[in-house]
Amino acid sequence: MVPRDRILVASIQGAVVATLLGAWYFSTHSSRLLSLFLPPPERVWSSFQVVAASGQLWAAAKVTLLTIAQAYLIAAVGGVLVGFLVARSDRLLKLFEPLLSGLFAIPLTMFFPLFILFFGLGPESKIAYGATYAFFPIALNTIAGFSSVDRLHVRAIRSMGANAFEQFRYVYFPAALPVTITGLRIGFFICIASVLGGETLASVTGVGRSIALSAELMETARMYAWIVSVVLVTLVLNLLVYAAESRLRRES
Amino acid sequence: MAGDAPIAVVIDRVSKTYPGRSAEQRVTALEAVSLSVRKGEFVCLLGPSGCGKSTLLGIIGGMLAPSTGTVTVNGTKVTGPQPRNIAFVFQESTLLPWYTVLENFQIALKLQGIGASAWRDRAMQALSSVGMEQFVNHYPNQLSVGMKQRINVARGICLGTDILLLDEPFAALDEQTRMVLGEDLSVLLARTGKTILFVTHSLSEAVFLADRIVVMTARPGRIKASIAVPEPHPRSPDFMLAPEFGALRNELYAVLRDEIRQTVAAMRQARDAGG
Amino acid sequence: MSTAGIRLIRLLLIAALIAVWEIYGRFFANSALVAPPSHVLMVLWPKIIGDPRVLRAVGLALFELATAFALAVVVGTVLGILIGLSELGRRSFYPFVLLLYAIPQVILLPLFVLLFGIGPAGKIAFGFSHGIFPIIVNTVAGMRNVNPVLVRGTEALGASRVAVIRYVILPHMVTTLFASMRLAMTMTLLGVILAELFVSTAGIGYFTQLFAESFAPAPLFALIGTLAVMAIILNELVRLAEARFTRWKD
Repeated sequence: MVPRDRILVASIQGAVVATLLGAWYFSTHSSRLLSLFLPPPERVWSSFQVVAASGQLWAAAKVTLLTIAQAYLIAAVGGVLVGFLVARSDRLLKLFEPLLSGLFAIPLTMFFPLFILFFGLGPESKIAYGATYAFFPIALNTIAGFSSVDRLHVRAIRSMGANAFEQFRYVYFPAALPVTITGLRIGFFICIASVLGGETLASVTGVGRSIALSAELMETARMYAWIVSVVLVTLVLNLLVYAAESRLRRES
Repeated sequence: MAGDAPIAVVIDRVSKTYPGRSAEQRVTALEAVSLSVRKGEFVCLLGPSGCGKSTLLGIIGGMLAPSTGTVTVNGTKVTGPQPRNIAFVFQESTLLPWYTVLENFQIALKLQGIGASAWRDRAMQALSSVGMEQFVNHYPNQLSVGMKQRINVARGICLGTDILLLDEPFAALDEQTRMVLGEDLSVLLARTGKTILFVTHSLSEAVFLADRIVVMTARPGRIKASIAVPEPHPRSPDFMLAPEFGALRNELYAVLRDEIRQTVAAMRQARDAGG
Repeated sequence: MSTAGIRLIRLLLIAALIAVWEIYGRFFANSALVAPPSHVLMVLWPKIIGDPRVLRAVGLALFELATAFALAVVVGTVLGILIGLSELGRRSFYPFVLLLYAIPQVILLPLFVLLFGIGPAGKIAFGFSHGIFPIIVNTVAGMRNVNPVLVRGTEALGASRVAVIRYVILPHMVTTLFASMRLAMTMTLLGVILAELFVSTAGIGYFTQLFAESFAPAPLFALIGTLAVMAIILNELVRLAEARFTRWKD
């Protein structure tokens, strides 16, 4: 892209952001009714400071982060293992893959009340729910990755006398890696979203609960503070993951 | 025969330059090309890659504007596509995949201004002339590349224009299919008396099809030579075995060889210079 | 092994799982948490399909889904076309779309309910905001990948700008739209269900909370099962519509 075009695009984007922020500031300062639903930016900021200083921010974030970590660990290990085992046999593949992808086509959110029934309102229900939801894209992608390894390469390395471990290391693993990593990435963000969702719907602790609670109590400034925090963290995470994936892709 | 027929297409000092973003990026595709084509003549434009033959055909068909010079077809200057005078067949199939073959023909006829009552007959007639009439209700994706190109040529014919322009229409096909389709085209020409301009890479194809072969130089494209092929249409495949065929082909090669060398050298130079 | 053989084994597998569920549910499980399939089927009529309040809640959810989906398709297509129309427009505004798409929208759920209330409006709005993104993304992509050879070929036939839009661009965009419809349907359904579950004062959320809190697993399973079956049917319907409109695609 020509440098001049790039500047033009950046200016348009800057103008949009500036307009939105400006509109936020001016409209909330001029209308009392509006500021009930959308507090002025400086109030959101001061709410954020209050929440951060009181330790609430960290307390809730800690619960959520731990929940996500545990859920993702289960989903990742389980998903990759199951995906790998299913992909090894053609028969297992034809048997299970349609089941998994068919199940994933339904929004699994509707099963959430079951998790509350089984595990209660604590973090355990969100761990189980997040792990279940994230399991699918990870398993499905791992299956896709390992089952699409080029037979030609396998035959070639076998003819060079490679044993099972070497075959895995030099052919199967590198071939399946990109698709599997994509699955892990998708699963990661699905895990985050489902844990936050579960906390918003039914929880005692966690960031999602804080958002829902502040809405319930009509503490809108606080609610926006939470929302903005989560949005910023998610965006940063997205950028990091995207950068890491590009780096990995270039090196492989 | 074409010998004393009226002139159908006049290309008068046509050149085409692409300015690019800077002086170095400026590309002259064609330089001062002048050519006349008689009614009923089959002219092949032959030359190395990048010599501008497709550009020239595009200018003749009104798809591109020349930088200088004019193209006149049947007395009228060409300033844009002229569906009633000129039919254009592209290298890739331009059949719209979401319509059946028949619907594609109907759209082409409708755009030309032909009344709906004539659509089916014209379509079926054109399809029969290339042996594709049984696929009239098929979708293009159900057909092979060779079949699609035949149908593209048929669509060009069904428009009933005086002039037919074909831009390497058989380039994506294997040699045997090319030969068969080339024969069909020769038969078609003899029967309909259309004026045909045909761009090709292939020396054999040019000798087999053309009344006259116009050889172009490497970029910037100019006309280097014009070689006549005296064999009358329709030509049978036996023509390829005749000694005149081989002689003409060799003559073409001799004319082209330097241009091909020059093109390859220029490509190497560009690669080494900046890559 | 033949496809029919595999299908048979799969069915047997599912049947075996149901059998295990039945035995476990009947003899081993905590009856406050797990109900065997036989009990679920037994309560299906009286508590779910036969109960007008539950039926109304499910019907309302379907209505919300249909409205949200229709809105998402229409608005999404229009926005997608506007964004994709010019290269400058796309480069400027598309990143904003992707940014919004990347946020876990569920954190906005309390905000939506605050703004739109606990009635159908909030659920339609939330479903709409989920379903619109795949449509925009696909529409923008569709505008970029129109085959230029087809455009040139149609222009060579003498087509005006309007004719090119009618014969080339429009059919292409319709195909693109259908390619994204299944995902849009799933996302819209996700949004509507999230919103329904969140509002526990009425609708599906009321009944799920009621059944969960009173430890009545059978009607809860039955309700969720009904929703799942609905979701599968909807998915199939969209797939059939897609197949019909893209018949030409070999």
